[in-house]
Order: sequence, then structure tokens, then C-alpha cells
Amino acid sequence: MNENDRRESGRAKEEALAVAKNCRHYAMCKIDFLGNGVCASGLEKHFASFYPVGRMDLYAALAEGTIPVTETGVEIANSCNLCGRCDYQCYFVNEMRPTRVMRALKDHVGAYVKGGGRVARSKDDAILSQLKNIVGADWASNDPAIRITYHHDLCPHVTFKMPEYVVLPNSREEISAILKLLNKSKIPYCVRGNGASSHGLVFSEGAVLDLNRMKTMDFDEKNWSVTVGPGTAAFDLQREARKRGYRVHTAEPAALVCANIMTSGLLSTFSTAYGISADNYIDAEFVAGDGSLFRLNDIAAPNLFSFRNALSEQEAIAICVSVSMKLHPLTADEEGVLVPCASLDDALDFARECAIRHIGLAIGILGGEFVSTFIAPTRKLAAEAKEVFVTKLGMPYLVLLIGDAYALRSVREMGYPVIDQKLFKTLFQGLPALSSAKWMDLLAELADDEPFSYLRLGRFAELAETAIAPSPALQARDIDPDLRPFFEEVYSRPEMADLVWLNTFRIQSSRYCRENPCVALVCYLPIDKALIGEIQDGLRAVAGKHRLKGEFGFITPIDSGKRCVWEYDFYFDHNDPAAIARVQQATREAGALLDDYCLKSGTIRQVRYVVNQGCCRKENLLYS
Amino acid sequence: MNDERSAIALTGATGFLGSHLMARLLQDGRRVIVLGRSTRDEALAARIARLLRWFGMAMPADRLETVEIDFARDRMGIAEAMYTQLSARTGQVIHCASDTNFSERKRDLVFAANVHSLNGILEFAAHGRAKAFHYISTAYVAGIHHAVCREILPAATAFVNVYEESKARAEAVIASFCERNSIPLKIIRPSIVFGDSQTGRALKFNALYFPIKTMQTIRDIYLNDIRNHGGIKSQKSGIFVDAQGYLHLPLRVYLPRKGSINLIPVDYFVEATLRLIAGDPPGGIFHLTNNSAPTLATLAAYNQEFMKIRAVEILYGRAASAAMRNPVEELFDRFIEPYRPYLSDDRIFDRTHTDRATGNLQPPEFTNGLFKKCMEYAIGVNWGGAIFS
Repeated sequence: MNENDRRESGRAKEEALAVAKNCRHYAMCKIDFLGNGVCASGLEKHFASFYPVGRMDLYAALAEGTIPVTETGVEIANSCNLCGRCDYQCYFVNEMRPTRVMRALKDHVGAYVKGGGRVARSKDDAILSQLKNIVGADWASNDPAIRITYHHDLCPHVTFKMPEYVVLPNSREEISAILKLLNKSKIPYCVRGNGASSHGLVFSEGAVLDLNRMKTMDFDEKNWSVTVGPGTAAFDLQREARKRGYRVHTAEPAALVCANIMTSGLLSTFSTAYGISADNYIDAEFVAGDGSLFRLNDIAAPNLFSFRNALSEQEAIAICVSVSMKLHPLTADEEGVLVPCASLDDALDFARECAIRHIGLAIGILGGEFVSTFIAPTRKLAAEAKEVFVTKLGMPYLVLLIGDAYALRSVREMGYPVIDQKLFKTLFQGLPALSSAKWMDLLAELADDEPFSYLRLGRFAELAETAIAPSPALQARDIDPDLRPFFEEVYSRPEMADLVWLNTFRIQSSRYCRENPCVALVCYLPIDKALIGEIQDGLRAVAGKHRLKGEFGFITPIDSGKRCVWEYDFYFDHNDPAAIARVQQATREAGALLDDYCLKSGTIRQVRYVVNQGCCRKENLLYS
Repeated sequence: MNDERSAIALTGATGFLGSHLMARLLQDGRRVIVLGRSTRDEALAARIARLLRWFGMAMPADRLETVEIDFARDRMGIAEAMYTQLSARTGQVIHCASDTNFSERKRDLVFAANVHSLNGILEFAAHGRAKAFHYISTAYVAGIHHAVCREILPAATAFVNVYEESKARAEAVIASFCERNSIPLKIIRPSIVFGDSQTGRALKFNALYFPIKTMQTIRDIYLNDIRNHGGIKSQKSGIFVDAQGYLHLPLRVYLPRKGSINLIPVDYFVEATLRLIAGDPPGGIFHLTNNSAPTLATLAAYNQEFMKIRAVEILYGRAASAAMRNPVEELFDRFIEPYRPYLSDDRIFDRTHTDRATGNLQPPEFTNGLFKKCMEYAIGVNWGGAIFS
């Protein structure tokens, strides 16, 4: 290797390491959300390490010398066939190209082995042997190449821990047996979901239970219900439900449904119609801390419907091993609209009015940051989209409403100008042409007279379509050239511009941390404009003080408009220790501010205190 | 000119009419005190300097003062000593500042700017015993339902928009104050002002320019569709490029009645205003209007040739139902809605006082050449977007 080659190789390694260390751990590479399949080795081996997300961590650890090259590490590297699927998936979400990391991992391990490096072999200890007896030899490990991928994520509030064991049970009985063993041996444990944790509850120096193998779905259409195993991801469940003509209320697409319910309780824009927490499920089955089994519907079961209203985090008391969820029938006339609002007050008025009148299935007030990030395929376009929507068009907030024909007719009769499905598709597929469109200036001048009045023109969508000439090719214009043909095909699928599908499957909202990860401050509170405005001012001030980007996320009305759920986000650079320190301090101050409002108002509940109480009755949560 | 009371205090100097007045006053060797505001990004003095550069002038530091004011505050926010000193040096006040928004939704803001803020500038004039107060109003204070608009205080109660209403109210407030304080008052009422008749230059591009800008935008949308995207959508609306290279753009513009657009160029406005300010009588109301105003049909003909479009029709009466309108018509209608009453104006503006006081100075006829000159300039500076870039 000459000097140039060495330099080139060094640069490639650096780039690969930078990508690896920017992995958001959002686990979208574990679900087939683009229809091009999922990493084959991940599906076969189930450990996070065999998915791209795990290989990113593994490569970073090997490159930085955190762990040695092990036999399992070699197996993980070799199991990647460089198919490139993860490039499409990760590019869609974060505009990153993990394949170069996969290649770097293979190169690193290959060179090490070829160079005669010693490949470490992890020895089974007594506990691991017993774990293997319970789950089978393939499904428990203490190899550093496995353990490192369960060691950290982007949550800035926890001390990461390297587990001694990672174990993948496949049944409630196995979970029960594992808990009994760990209890007897006084080994701490935790259960992890599919990807990153919001609250840092997935780390243990003892054992991590990964329920990835328990992906069961049993539909009971007579009762409009489905029973799902704890390894079932929201996207997969939603896809199966949709095939049968139903919707399930789920949250983030890669999130495990049971984990969602157990921790913070399910919430989404569909919470307006489908509710939160216990509204979403019929029954659930658990393994208690002592390894015993119980169902919620057992008379003697612990009362998980209750809610402890305290300004403190609660411990988990059991592992959810299955849940039967409600199926909601789809109607053929469901459609989505976006109602632009010049202020948060206007948006709250509209959202509250709709919730009180039970208009719509899903309602979400989205801030400019979310809207632009969700709809734009790249960061650059997201910045341009934000400029267009917030500054040029004066739409700092857009209210998403999904409903049937009756609901949408009501919205129109309420007199609100709307971006309908047709216009949304035009703007969505024409996004790259928007920022340079001169006619936008005219719209701004018109809006001065009456905000968004041009949307009332019967044929505005037709004119916009002519002006923008939207197409999947235009939408994919700024994407890396080698990926562009694939994304042109993806964006040409009808569902990819369908507000109902997009908000049901939520694959675009996975982009919310594309530019930088964030700490989400989420709380339930009344739809009180003054209160929300005051708190938002306070959170903005905290963000400003600590030089963090603070942005309104979303608000969704719940319980007939009596309350709403609100997310406000602090963005930070997770690779900058100083930024992490700032976001930690900012989060503490924001938490104190919210605690203060909780005590003053008596009507605010922070989701961080709901964690591990997600099964509770909504009424206990909101009003007890 | 250099006596202690020679200065002219001018508000609205950063606006279209005010800036032209300021430039001309300075060119004529007058002392000017600009009373204005900074923006978030630019101090008042810098704004004025930038505007003067556009006029090809440097800041004449010995004859131009810029004073930051806030109409909402006592003494317009000017420190007492300075206020007394400024007012003592002010011989005449030209109040040109105005909010020209037509939107009913902005009623409070428009009235705040055009009426409620008057007290500050009027008290300033009274405090220094100004020799004259000149108010730049609008010809449209006459309101609707007046076939002949006299050069007298308005009695109208119905107006086309909140802007007209606020200006009419302001005239009454100012007239009453000046009478009580024995300050000679001239009210100058221009109609619609466009660019310079000699050069076509302008600083603001609303009113006359807005429908043309709208038309250009619509034309470009369809030309782009035809040239770059096969023109299928254009065909659906009957839009195509004909054999002579003209865009066939069917656009029926409905006006309520036959009438004209009363246009005067800004250089006429400036010349006439200065003659009015300088000359006799000491007070009065003056219409700066055009007795030979063009019709929209004439303007449309100019514009069709200028933009190489065809099939624009000016019709009178009620528009066809929305279902019968093509997307272009629907959009154009919406865009010109605030201006529609001014596009077919059948009012006659009496100019008796004006003609006498200005030596019968008349605005030029609005010819095709003048139209072209103004629009070429407007497009050249991207409708104002590129003026200061």
C-alpha cells in the first residue's frame, strides 16, 4: 500500500467512524418500511449486533479499540453481504450511508484476521450456561461484540452500562425462567425494545433481555382485536392490520408495541380518537418480577390501571409478554388535510374545536421544524422547506387532521382554508422547486389580506401543480445519485404521498432526529392557550440560555379536547461532550419548570413520570 | 433659506412618496429633518442614506437630520430639550407617513398608524408654532357614491376599504387641530402614484404594478409548463403558444362598470406638491389626479403586447360563476380583488384648487411608451426585490 492508498484508507475509516457514531439507534433498519427487505442476518440472528444498527456500534468500538476482535465479532462482520438495503433505509431516515460502515467493519476484521491477530473467544460462565439452557445455545451471549451493541444509545441522561449477558427468550415461560435465575443470582436485568430509549431505561450491567424473537400477531377479527408478542414492531403490526382492513393505534414504526404500552403508554395523533394508555388495549399478559405470570384481567392481578401521580419516575414491576389490542375498521373515505395557522393560538383554537366536536380521527398541531423535517428527503431541503412554510407562507404551525368524508366536510364548513390531499401531494413531490418559485411571493402578498385565502380558490391545487410540476423524480432530485432511482420508485407509490398512510405508519416522523438528536419534553395538559404559551416561553428561554435549538414538536388533543399531549424538543450534538452537558442542564431546568407548573396548576402530567405506568387508565393519569 | 425656522420636518421619508419628496427637497437646497424609525436590521440614518444613494445622492450632513421617533410615545419619544430645539427650527411639517394596507383585518393597525398617531406630529407642529402643516392624503377619501369629488373635507361615510376610511378620518382630525391652533394646513390628495415618467424608476411596486406582476407570474407558470413539461396542463385550460410566439392565455377580467384608473407619475406628484407647498394660497385641499386616466382595457392592451400574451378580455358586469372560470381567472380575480374598485373608477376629481395653485401643471398621459418604461424598470429590479441588493 503506497502513501496515497494509506491516506485514502485512513480517510475512509474516518468517514465510516463518523457515520457509525452518528447512528441514531432508531432501529428503522429492523423493519421493512421501504419494501426492499430487512438485513437478512438480523432476521436470522435477532441480536441487535446482526442488524446494521448493531454493526455501527460494533465498528465504532473496534475502530476505537473499546473491545477486542472476537469470534462473534468476526461472524457479525462476515454475516453482512453488503446488499446495501441499510443505505436506502438509513438514507430515508437520516440521510446516512451505513454500507460504508459495514464495509469498513468487514475490512477491519478481515485485515485483523489476515494479519494473524488473535481472535478472542468468550467463555461461558455458570450463569450463561444456565441462560443457554433456558433459551438455547444460540440465544444468549456474553461476547463483547454482542454486549457492546446493548451498551448505549443517544439518551443524554444516563450512565451507559455494559451488560454481562444478552439473552433472547422466545416465550413467556422462558422469560419467567430467566427472571427466576437472575433473581436467584442477584443479577440485575432490564428489557429493551427495538432501538433507542427516550428515558434510558434499557441499560443494565447484568443482563439485557431482548424480546426480538417474540414477533407474534394473532388476529381475532370477530372481536376486532389482535394479540401481539413483545417483539412485534408497530410497523409490522400496522401493515398486517391494514391488510385486513383495520388500523391499530401504534406509535413510532420501529417501536415494539408492548414496550410502548408498558412504558409511556401509546400516544400519537390518533390519540384524539383512539385515546391513550389503557384505551388502546383489551388485556395484557405479564411476567412479574418474581417470574410469576398474570393477566390484567385476573381478579388478583396487580392494579396496573392505577396511576401514581408523583413527581418521580416509577420502577417497572413486570414484563409485558403479550397484549391484545383493539382493531379500528378503516373506511374508504378517510383522507387527511393540513390546516395552516399563523399562530399557535389559532392552531389550538382549531384543534380544540375539532376535538370537542369529535371531528376527525387524528389531530396534530405540528411545528415548522417537524413539518419540514418530515416532508423533506434531505436536510438541505428541510431547511428550505422550513423557510418556505414558516417565513414565506407564514405557516409556523400546521394542523394535521385525518378523518372521513363527514369530518373533512365539517372542517370546510368551519371556514378554515386547508391544504388538501391533492395539494399536499403537489407540495410534497414538488418540494425542491418551492424555494425558488417566484409565485410564492405573490401568495405571501395575498396572505397579507387574509391569511391563506388563496387556499380557498377552487382550483388552486391545479394551478400549483402546473407551477411546480411535481413528480417523484423532482422529489428525489437532491438525493445521492446512486440511490435516486430507488427513491423515485418509492416516492411514486401512492401511499408515499397519502397523508392517511403516512400518519398511520409514521415512517417520515422517524426523521425527527436527522439533523441532531433531541430530548423530548412531553406532557399532558389542558388546551389552555395562555398556559401553553407561558410554558413554551419558559422552555425557549431554557434552550436559549444553554445555546440549544429548542423547537415546538406537536400537540394532539385528547379526551374530547379536555386535555392535550404536547412535545417540545431540545436538540443537541450527541458527539459533543459540552453539548451533552448543556442539554443535561437544560433538561434539568426544563423539568424543574414543568414540575413547578404541575404543582401550580394540578392539571399537568409529565410523560417522564408516566414511564412504567403506561397501562394505566387515562382518567387515572389525567385527573387523579 | 438658512434662517432659524427654515427646516422642513418630514415623516414617511422611507416610503415611496416621502423618499421622493425628501430627495427633491434636498436637491433644492432645503434643510430637512426626517422623523422616522429604525427597523430591526437597520438604523434610520442608514435607511435614509441607502435611499439617497438610490437617488444618486450622498447624505448632505449639513442639511439633513434624522431623528428617531415613536408616534405612540409622548413628544414622539424625543427627549424634551431636543424636541423643543427641533420644533423651534421647523418651519413646515410634511406628514407623509401612512399605512397603506387595505385589509379590513388590519383595521386596528391602519387606524393606529394613520389616525391615532397624529397627535404626536400635530403637537410637534404646534409646539414650534410651525408656519405650515402639509398632509399627504389620498384622492380616495371621497369614498364611494361620489360622482364628482370636490377639493373639500370629505363627508363620506362609506369607503372602499379601511385605508380610505382612515385617511378621511385623519383629514378631519388634522383640519380640526390646525384650525384650533391656527396652523395653515394644506391637504394634498394624490391618486394612484407610479414610477418616474422620465426614467420609469420607482421604489414601490403595488397598485398599478400588482396586476401586471400577477400576470407575469401566471404567464411564466404556463410558459414553463409548455416549454419544460409538455404543456398538458396548459392545454386543459386552453393555454398555448400561438404561431406568432404569443401565449394564448384566456383571461376574462370582470369589472363592475366602465371607468378608468387614475394614475399619476411620482415626478408629477413631487413637482406639484412642491409648488403647492411653496405657493399661495396658505391653505387648502388639492387633488393630484389625472384628467385623462386610461381604462383597464387600454392597460391590458399595453400589457398584452409587452408580455406577448393574447386573449385577455376586459368585461363589464357580473363574473361568470366560479365553475365557469379557469384557474388563471380564479387566481387573477383573487389577486386583484383589493384593487378592483380602482380599476374602473368613474369618479371625477375636481382640480380647481390644484390647477390654480400649480399653474395648471398636469400629469402626462399614460401612454404605451410610459407603461413599457415603467414595467421594464420594475422587471429589471425584480419588482423591487433587487433594488438594494
